[in-house]
Amino acid sequence: MVTVEEIENVSKLMKIDIDDHSEYLDKVKKMISYFDILDSAGVESEEISMPEISIESLRKDEFIPFEDKLIEKMNHYKGTYVHAPKMS
Amino acid sequence: MMNLKISALEFVEEAKNGNISVEDFIGKTLERIDSVEDKLHALLSINDKALDQARELDKKIKSGEDVGACFGMPISIKDNMCIKNTKTTCASKMLENFIAPYDATVISKLKKQDAIFIGKANMDEFAMGLTTEFSAYGPSKNPWNTEYVPGGSSGGSAVSVSSFECVASLGSDTGGSIRNPASFCSTVGYKPTYGLISRYGLISYANSIEQIGPLTRTVKDSAFMLNLIAGIDPNDDTTVNNNNEDYLANIDSGIEGKKIGIITDMMGDGIDPEVLTATKEAISKLEGLGAVCEEVSLEMVKYSVAAYYTITATEAGSNLARYDNLRYGYDFPVEGYEFNSYISKARRNFGPEVTRRMIIGGFVPSAGHAGKYFLKAMKVKTKLTKEINEAFKKFDLLIAPTVPVLPFKIGEKIDDPVSLFLIDINTVTANLTGKPAISIPFKIVNGLPIGIQLMANSMNDKLLLQAAHALEKTVTLPEVTI
Amino acid sequence: MTKIGLEIHCQLTNLQSKLFCSCKANYREFGPNENICPVCAGIPGSLPRLNQEAVKKATMIAMALNCSTPEKIAFFRKNYFYPDLPKNFQITQLNIYGDTSVGGTGTISIGDKKIRITRIQLEEDPGRIIYEGSSSKNQITLVDYNRAGTPLVEIVTEPDFETPREVRDFLNILSDLLKNLGVADPSLEGAMRADANVSVHGGNKVEIKNIGSFHDLEKASHFEITRQESLHDRDIPIAQETRHWDDRRKITVSSRSKEEDLDYRYFLEGDIPWVKINPEIREELKLKMPESISSKKERYISKYNISAQVADVLSSDKFYSDLFEEAHTELNAKEVANIITTELMGLEDTREKRETSKLTAVHLKELADAIQTGTVSRNSSKNALHEILKTGKTVSAVISELDLGNVSDETELLKIVEKIISDEPQAVEQAKSNIQTINYLVGKVMQATKGKADPTLTLNLLKKQIGI
Repeated sequence: MVTVEEIENVSKLMKIDIDDHSEYLDKVKKMISYFDILDSAGVESEEISMPEISIESLRKDEFIPFEDKLIEKMNHYKGTYVHAPKMS
Repeated sequence: MMNLKISALEFVEEAKNGNISVEDFIGKTLERIDSVEDKLHALLSINDKALDQARELDKKIKSGEDVGACFGMPISIKDNMCIKNTKTTCASKMLENFIAPYDATVISKLKKQDAIFIGKANMDEFAMGLTTEFSAYGPSKNPWNTEYVPGGSSGGSAVSVSSFECVASLGSDTGGSIRNPASFCSTVGYKPTYGLISRYGLISYANSIEQIGPLTRTVKDSAFMLNLIAGIDPNDDTTVNNNNEDYLANIDSGIEGKKIGIITDMMGDGIDPEVLTATKEAISKLEGLGAVCEEVSLEMVKYSVAAYYTITATEAGSNLARYDNLRYGYDFPVEGYEFNSYISKARRNFGPEVTRRMIIGGFVPSAGHAGKYFLKAMKVKTKLTKEINEAFKKFDLLIAPTVPVLPFKIGEKIDDPVSLFLIDINTVTANLTGKPAISIPFKIVNGLPIGIQLMANSMNDKLLLQAAHALEKTVTLPEVTI
Repeated sequence: MTKIGLEIHCQLTNLQSKLFCSCKANYREFGPNENICPVCAGIPGSLPRLNQEAVKKATMIAMALNCSTPEKIAFFRKNYFYPDLPKNFQITQLNIYGDTSVGGTGTISIGDKKIRITRIQLEEDPGRIIYEGSSSKNQITLVDYNRAGTPLVEIVTEPDFETPREVRDFLNILSDLLKNLGVADPSLEGAMRADANVSVHGGNKVEIKNIGSFHDLEKASHFEITRQESLHDRDIPIAQETRHWDDRRKITVSSRSKEEDLDYRYFLEGDIPWVKINPEIREELKLKMPESISSKKERYISKYNISAQVADVLSSDKFYSDLFEEAHTELNAKEVANIITTELMGLEDTREKRETSKLTAVHLKELADAIQTGTVSRNSSKNALHEILKTGKTVSAVISELDLGNVSDETELLKIVEKIISDEPQAVEQAKSNIQTINYLVGKVMQATKGKADPTLTLNLLKKQIGI
């Protein structure tokens, strides 16, 4: 059972302020309860698999500068830094 | 108005022969957009340089210079793909002011082929949705009946193609986001084998399963688009080598003798009777062409939706973490704020559906719950892949309706998340297993479109397009009247 | 009983490009945010592209540390929010689905002791944060992504260290090893960082972060052990926590608890397939690996009869051992090694001096040969060396210009010997009765010739003239 507290903790983890927890709680609860169906899939013995690539197909180690001055296209401060909020 | 309804290949032929001028066509296209956009809202932005680009191309064509394969064809691009120096919002307020500093690989490729990007297409915010109702800039409407949803998340793409606002579109498909709106709007929608088309420049939602793909008026048009954008890309380590396969060549081969599996788990409870009837009709048409159709069951399909939403929420939760509004986003200065509170406030600009997925995406892989949810979902994915690979040992293709229900009214399902999830039940399998899948427009019932889905084994995109083309030819459908 | 474990982060500064993009790996020469691209700046839609050479170099490090190396490696996401993390997740390695990081368990010896390596992983460095303004109210946080994406190898050890001194020895050995492999220059600012975990008497492990240098690491370990011992003595339980090193006050301080950040939601990085490193490639890497320090040392001792102490110093320093390899011959090896370790290292004691020095391997070879043939005495060779470093002139040019050549002409030397004998009758008498004292006379001859007399010849001439 998913609780309001768990939702609050997760929203802090994901850094999203939520005004009315109970509105989301209801929908999120329903969605997560639906996932309980996974318990009856009988897949415990399966392995996790992933696509593979050979080391020889990987990118060659070369310095190629990006063609534009990227910082000018981002939010920037004093020309070249990114301005972040103060750290606590 | 008449000549806007031509297919991409017809357009190329006419433009090449000088029978139509690109400027003329683009001009008419812009007029068309002007006349229907109020009712449809397919596009979030329109290219104000399109006419200039068209004029340039006409000059090139007249002077006999080499022109790219698209000949100025107007193409709409789902707004989650980066076009350099263009606003790319993912239909979200979080990226209201984001101007992409580079071109996606598919965009560079199409630019080289002289395509004209007529506009950015509306979508569900960050591609999370099935109806385009979750766009932060308002929903798109189904051109067959504007009270109905056009499907999603590539709703704007499907609407713009189906209502002749463009000749073709590029969308993205994570769980059915190309095929579903294609089916609801009566266009062709193609999701390639995972890795066939580069995702560089596609703003990630669930990177391990999503793909870019075309939405077009005909199957041949999709093959044409695939030829231009598929292939290994050094900017994307997940792309695979397709040896420059020509998807148009021999597309008329037909399906004589091919074995087609009917996925029973995708035609069970909850399917609309009209959809079931249409599917059965499609199966007889295929048998009429010489295919052998037989039932097959994929047991994991019933768990596929839960697995899909668990995995995609996890990946989305991580892929969307970079939207902290520090480097790009919308106007919200950092002065006076502390780091954690700034970010949490800034991210309130996500819409409610995205926020819900973020919460789920934080929950299901978290230390206390990963074993029950995320890991199980990954294992379902593995087992489903084994099952479908087994099926492909016996069958060349698999068939099912694209969506088990007819298009529904705007607002009808938006409050019931789980019933909305289940719309995806026929489409997520292709994404979870990486197999290519296509939706072909097949029937119009009570003025609403029904599409049929075919799937093939990995890297058998050519075979899939041949079969889809064969099925497409068996029906003649009315045009949209809007 | 104290237990210390280390987590060392080493930048692969010898690579050309970053771990996941083609921006420069060594970011130090750039102005803020001049070494970035859509990938390392976390622009939407960008994708990581794994650097082939980084995987190879990390595998070599694993081999050099006697670690197992798997056939397939995988990457994972570590999710948390911080301004220096452009994607708000770090791509790193883990072993949750079998052994998938670039190095498994291994060992490294410090003296007689073996330190166990837990694992070696490849991961990306975050960017850098600069704080502007003084008071916390006005403070501005500025972020520079030049460093973001720089390839890091993280080496995790078991808590096998028992003293801070062992930690320091280990770090020096590791530094030399990495330099010798040609994967990194640990002397570059920020290229090698380490965190420690400390426990005493089987109690809770305390992690210490934010240690700026190896020197500080030794200090921090020492402080933390003392702190924990004192708590233990008073029967106060030691909390399992993370502390950071406060460089100003030279103490460890409890870090603000950030419980929201502790759950990293690790999962596989979907943008990077599992990388197959087949056995042929691993064999190739093994063969390509530069000779290890211990192997060099052994070779110097057994083949060239170089003393263990000299061999130790020479083999640990890549710059000089490379120079030795180039300069030496079968005959002059010992002399070359000597010149390097007793003179050259002292003269070229900074990076700048090494870089501006005009000395080449040819110089070194010729100088060693000159000493061996007696053309120049060891004493004079020091002056020659000074001059060569400064001017780069040939050995023979320097010897003649500075008139450093040995006086080995017998006739000439005889004259000087005879003069000394006549000047020092008392010493001569002494030498007749006690031959050891002849050295005084040898010294006098040396003085007269400004150190250029051939010592052996001088001694023989003196003996002959005195008649002993």
